[in-house]
Amino acid sequence: MMEKSMRFHKRVINAVASTLMLFALPSYGDFSDNLRVSVDASARLNTNKAAGNSSRIYALGLDTHKVFSNETGDIGYSVGQLYFTKLSNQTPFPFMFDSSDDQQFIIREAHINYTAGPAWLPNIRVGHFTLPFGLEESIDTNGRLLDYNHGKNLGTKLDWGIGFNKVLNNLQYNVTYMMGGKDDPKIVNDSYIYVGRLGSLDHLDFIMGFSFLDAKIDNIERKRLAFDWQYYWQTWGLMGEIAFGKDNKTTHQWLKEKYSLLELSKTSLDEQLKIYGQYILTDRENDTNTQQLVNIGLSYQINTQLELSLSSRRQLNTPLAGKKQHLLRVQLRYRY
Amino acid sequence: MKVIIFFMLSMLFLPTAYAEAYCSLRDPVSQIRQLYPQKTNQLSIVKAVDNQTRKQVQLALPRNDLHFSELGKHTLYVAMKNTKALGYVHVRSEQSKWGLVEIVWAIDKDLRIQNFACQRCRSPKKAIIESDLFKKAFIGKNLQELKTLLNEDGLTANIALVDNANNAPELTSVVLRSALKTLLITDLLWGKELKLLNH
Repeated sequence: MMEKSMRFHKRVINAVASTLMLFALPSYGDFSDNLRVSVDASARLNTNKAAGNSSRIYALGLDTHKVFSNETGDIGYSVGQLYFTKLSNQTPFPFMFDSSDDQQFIIREAHINYTAGPAWLPNIRVGHFTLPFGLEESIDTNGRLLDYNHGKNLGTKLDWGIGFNKVLNNLQYNVTYMMGGKDDPKIVNDSYIYVGRLGSLDHLDFIMGFSFLDAKIDNIERKRLAFDWQYYWQTWGLMGEIAFGKDNKTTHQWLKEKYSLLELSKTSLDEQLKIYGQYILTDRENDTNTQQLVNIGLSYQINTQLELSLSSRRQLNTPLAGKKQHLLRVQLRYRY
Repeated sequence: MKVIIFFMLSMLFLPTAYAEAYCSLRDPVSQIRQLYPQKTNQLSIVKAVDNQTRKQVQLALPRNDLHFSELGKHTLYVAMKNTKALGYVHVRSEQSKWGLVEIVWAIDKDLRIQNFACQRCRSPKKAIIESDLFKKAFIGKNLQELKTLLNEDGLTANIALVDNANNAPELTSVVLRSALKTLLITDLLWGKELKLLNH
């Protein structure tokens, strides 16, 4: 208990000290601090129909973004997100927590991206950030019910590391080395992550990208190659991701794994409402049947601060043991 | 409890924020390079678009409003060549029947349109507004001059401008409204900073 409390306080002190140091850095001129700060609060209710239980996740945090600049322009920017997160009967609970009713300060994204190099030099990102892989690279799902299964497919959604990124005339890339300690900035049992994505510009109506991953996280080695694409027509969006690879997850033998996702989405003209449906297929060598899931969700932006999200996830195939997955989730999120 | 009180107090000092997390913010890097190929860097100036700004827009451009995503903190980019400002870049979203249309506007130091690029436009007639002929009707014009291209309803483009855009009167009106709001908000919110910068 004492150790947990020490760890908790150390994490808070580190986060606050780092944030203050970043804010002390300059922005050009006296006329703008170029700082964005929001309080971000959310309450999520999960009902697991198969397991017959319900759980809740509460998060209250600060989301910050600051641009640093001098007389020749921007030097870079930082993103800092510190959240107090409380679980209530959450089973299984995420790795950052010690029990199904635990509470912790969680650092989500916390990084600096240096952008002031010459045109031929990539930007350099250092800190805790999302693995640049697949659809998640251009569609941020931070704090949302919408999800592209980063954690499950790759072993973690975020990690500490250093990355090189750039937007060129027709391409953009993001290549990163991470330590594999997930929420801790350290190497654990020879952990490592090499991950990257090369894609077309993400503001276009048709986007595609290639990603790779070579990692050892939690003593599991994973290798992945993926192709993702998005196509938008008026208020419709159609996108997909397919990843092939192998890992030594259970038997310390390399087993092939295939993951694919197809999503169709529709937004209202004012973009207050978004509805989406996902079909997710996971095929693993030696497993007798493939896992097929359907995820249907919506998000409704009630006003500039308040967002309501709903999601229903159902398993299509019948598993060999246990019941089919059926998870209902509701989230109310307030940003101010 | 202390944590909750701390965050509740923090709310009192914060302006309106848009719902997306800040890690999803992306600068229009390739469009700025397209509009100012000679630039060596860009300088960001972040300011808050709030309900006061919204009211000023409604007053200066009757029957117009700002989309809810336009409230919150926004960035004006100054295209730089070393320490010299080449012009300004401002991105605005305008609602249309094809969803949001996002246009990246290049503005000169006298707040006249220099050029523009589409960041997002899902109209099947997008190619029309990207043509040089169409752009010509906007380039070099300031807010007052662009206002003369509006019909009396305050929302639609007049026949002179629509003639430049075969069969795309609605998209033309969307681009015109975006241009008007961009120049107005640039002046309202960033005018003081830009004067300091060019002093």
